[in-house]
Amino acid sequence: MNHPVICRVWELWKNPIFLRYCRSRLRPTAISVSCLITVMVAGFIFQMARTTSEWRTDMSESDVERTPLIALLVIQGLILFVLGTAQASGGMTAERDEGVIDYQRLLPMTPAAKVLGYLFGLPVREYVMFACTLPFTIWGMWKGDVPMHTWLSLYGVIASTTILYHLTGLLTGTIVKNRRWAFLSSIGLIFALYTVIPQAAKFGLVFFKYLTITPVVEESMRFLLPSSAGSAWETGRRLLSDARFFNLNFSEAAFTYFSQACLIITFFVMLCRRWKDAEAHLLGKFWAVGFYSWVQLQLLGNALPLIDSGKLFPTQQFARFSYMMRGKSWQPASWEALSMILAYGLISLLFLWVLSGIITPHFNTQINGWRRAHKQQKTRLPLRSDESNSSVFVLIMALVGGASWFLFTHMIIESRWFPGHFAPVSLALYFILAMVTCALAHQLLLEFKGARAVFLSMIFILVLPLMVAAIMGGASDRLAPIAIWIAGLSPLSLPALCVSNHLSISEFPVNLNRAIPGAYLFWQVVYLLLVLSLVKNLWKHRQSVKSQA
Amino acid sequence: MTISDSNISKIMISPTDIPAIDIRDLRVDYERFTAVHDLTLKVPAGEVFGLVGPNGAGKTSTFKVLASLMQPTYGEVILSGVDVLENKEAARRIIGYMPDLAPVPRDLKCGEFLRFYARAHGLGNASQCAARADECLEEVALTDHKDHWCHKLSRGQTQRLVLAKTMLHSPKVLILDEPASGLDPLARRELRTTLRKLASRGATIFISSHILTELAEMCTSICVMSHGRLLASGTVDQVRAQLGDDSRSLSIVPLQNLDAIPGWIHQCDGVTAARLEQGVMHLHFVGDNECQAQLLETMIQRGLRVRSFSEKRSSYEEILIGVAERSRLS
Repeated sequence: MNHPVICRVWELWKNPIFLRYCRSRLRPTAISVSCLITVMVAGFIFQMARTTSEWRTDMSESDVERTPLIALLVIQGLILFVLGTAQASGGMTAERDEGVIDYQRLLPMTPAAKVLGYLFGLPVREYVMFACTLPFTIWGMWKGDVPMHTWLSLYGVIASTTILYHLTGLLTGTIVKNRRWAFLSSIGLIFALYTVIPQAAKFGLVFFKYLTITPVVEESMRFLLPSSAGSAWETGRRLLSDARFFNLNFSEAAFTYFSQACLIITFFVMLCRRWKDAEAHLLGKFWAVGFYSWVQLQLLGNALPLIDSGKLFPTQQFARFSYMMRGKSWQPASWEALSMILAYGLISLLFLWVLSGIITPHFNTQINGWRRAHKQQKTRLPLRSDESNSSVFVLIMALVGGASWFLFTHMIIESRWFPGHFAPVSLALYFILAMVTCALAHQLLLEFKGARAVFLSMIFILVLPLMVAAIMGGASDRLAPIAIWIAGLSPLSLPALCVSNHLSISEFPVNLNRAIPGAYLFWQVVYLLLVLSLVKNLWKHRQSVKSQA
Repeated sequence: MTISDSNISKIMISPTDIPAIDIRDLRVDYERFTAVHDLTLKVPAGEVFGLVGPNGAGKTSTFKVLASLMQPTYGEVILSGVDVLENKEAARRIIGYMPDLAPVPRDLKCGEFLRFYARAHGLGNASQCAARADECLEEVALTDHKDHWCHKLSRGQTQRLVLAKTMLHSPKVLILDEPASGLDPLARRELRTTLRKLASRGATIFISSHILTELAEMCTSICVMSHGRLLASGTVDQVRAQLGDDSRSLSIVPLQNLDAIPGWIHQCDGVTAARLEQGVMHLHFVGDNECQAQLLETMIQRGLRVRSFSEKRSSYEEILIGVAERSRLS
């Protein structure tokens, strides 16, 4: 049956959902008030900055015109990133809360067209408000002689970051069922993803920086600030890291696009899956493995080229200044390398847990899958389906994560900064073993006992032992070895114990040095036995699910 | 003469043979609870088909699967030849779905609400969509409310507005979940009239309601579900018979005064009990209409002159309560 296509995915101007929001969010009264306030604020900043710099300083004409640019960028960021994202998330939740989302599900449009309709429709008022600020920035850039490539790359990255943030808002609005929680979650997720996690860039995980507009703003700042301040900025900026991916050099803007694109596509796929089937997993199993591998590749690609120059190490930037001041040479400390290696391992593990949570089927999903399979006289669940178990995929991700973690460690330890220290390839087995046991323990427990059991074990096994150990370790040096043993109960400690035990650069007090090997060996064996026991029990459980169906 | 495969398919799927709704082995599970148990049902095109059942019978789950809003555990749902589970987008062009307690958006006016969906269903350019929206508003007698905010309408008006939205794209199959809930008697009558009008234009209407008398008036056939299972389907009388509720109470007023019930009455087919009260014979009768006509004939043949004859059947609600109770116990 051939039907006329209502709107193609890219025909936004024909997209009924987009047009519906243009109608409801651009009503003359509401939009004129919003625009008036925006123009007033932007106009005030623009004129205030120009007037002050013109009459109170002896800046050149072009410098005067540049002075309001940074403040205007902040206003634009607030409109697009804060108000727009809140609207994307809140609007989506409101649709579901009111119950009208089912009407939209029933529209004969492709899921991609629906996602795009919401993505650009919900924050349409914020786009208009943003447009109201543009004349001021255009004037400032034109009269301030800001090169075209600078403002093109700047606004290009603002656009891609806006899409990324709005997709994040849309996703939380789609997933989180409670309206209040949806709003808080979206704010929390955006704060975590684009403010907290990018701080990991300071610990060698440079990739996360490119999920924000920071690198491009830093790159463009020379032209956005008045010339004297711009030159000083540029001198400081040269000390910062470059946008490098293995042996390739990119501009900051190009690499930001490259890094954000994958996340944008993944979020888009998640939303499309949910529009296709409201109960579907956010990601398919193969996509999850691909996404995880890609993030590992990005992390390594960004970090490894910076090791030899020392730019990977956060203390180097401070040292440069101190070198200039005191003439001393810089050498990374072993604790710095250890913490970066640990940060890499922990972030890889936490990310793996998140993906494992997404692709692991709930008991009821599995049983329904088996009922369907029995009805269709099949003896196996399709490998790619949401219903089939995810152990193999989690195992693959753990292997990738463990191998990448080891590679990162190997390159740091065997770099020129740590002569006499080695991380032989045979150590990779221990790194992979730690990653695999932690990842599988989570996945198997989740499949076997459900999300509640995992949540409780997060509190009592993951966090509580670390808290107790921290208190004991802080109380007395004599209790520190016991604290190490207690902390070992937490799966988050296993990567730390593995690193501390196997790497020769780790320098601890004698009593800790004695405790670490025993604690590591003991807890590694315990976790291995736990995983084997879970595998055995889960096997029986799966058979019973199959027969129950 | 041999028939090629393509000819066979033409023969097999000629439009007249295709039921408007064809549900095969449908099962819906929520965690450990089975909402719909292997439901198989066919509804011919042009019918107004009612789905009756107490709360938790599986009506809404069935409707959601039919409307392509829910993935069943297994089963097939084919609407006018389109497989809903395999080809959702095509199915959505021929489905009109009105959920229970139909919601409306807070930020649109009635006219805008309908124009948006008209556009989303590809009903032409802006002016054609507006014209179609106006037409539908008129059908549900809401033309005066075109510029009113959707959320400020009364319950009945909201139901009518959503009904207008449901019929915008002239769907072949209308799935209406409890469309009469919350409506006053006048609004119900209007709804009935609108649905009859739609059915007369060839649409198949699948409707659920707790108000069985209303379904009986509106539907050409019904089915009864309880605890996820189909108990009976057919015309209202057929369903009554299938559910074993063929009993009725007959009140006969003879012309002459009787002192007692004549003995032969107890021998008549279908009469299970009889009593005389203030000159009126009350008979408990179980049987079909033919059997009942036979009883009246026997009375006249036996010389019993009948001044008046009336029957009272158990109400639909009583039947449903009985069915639900029996189903629960089983």
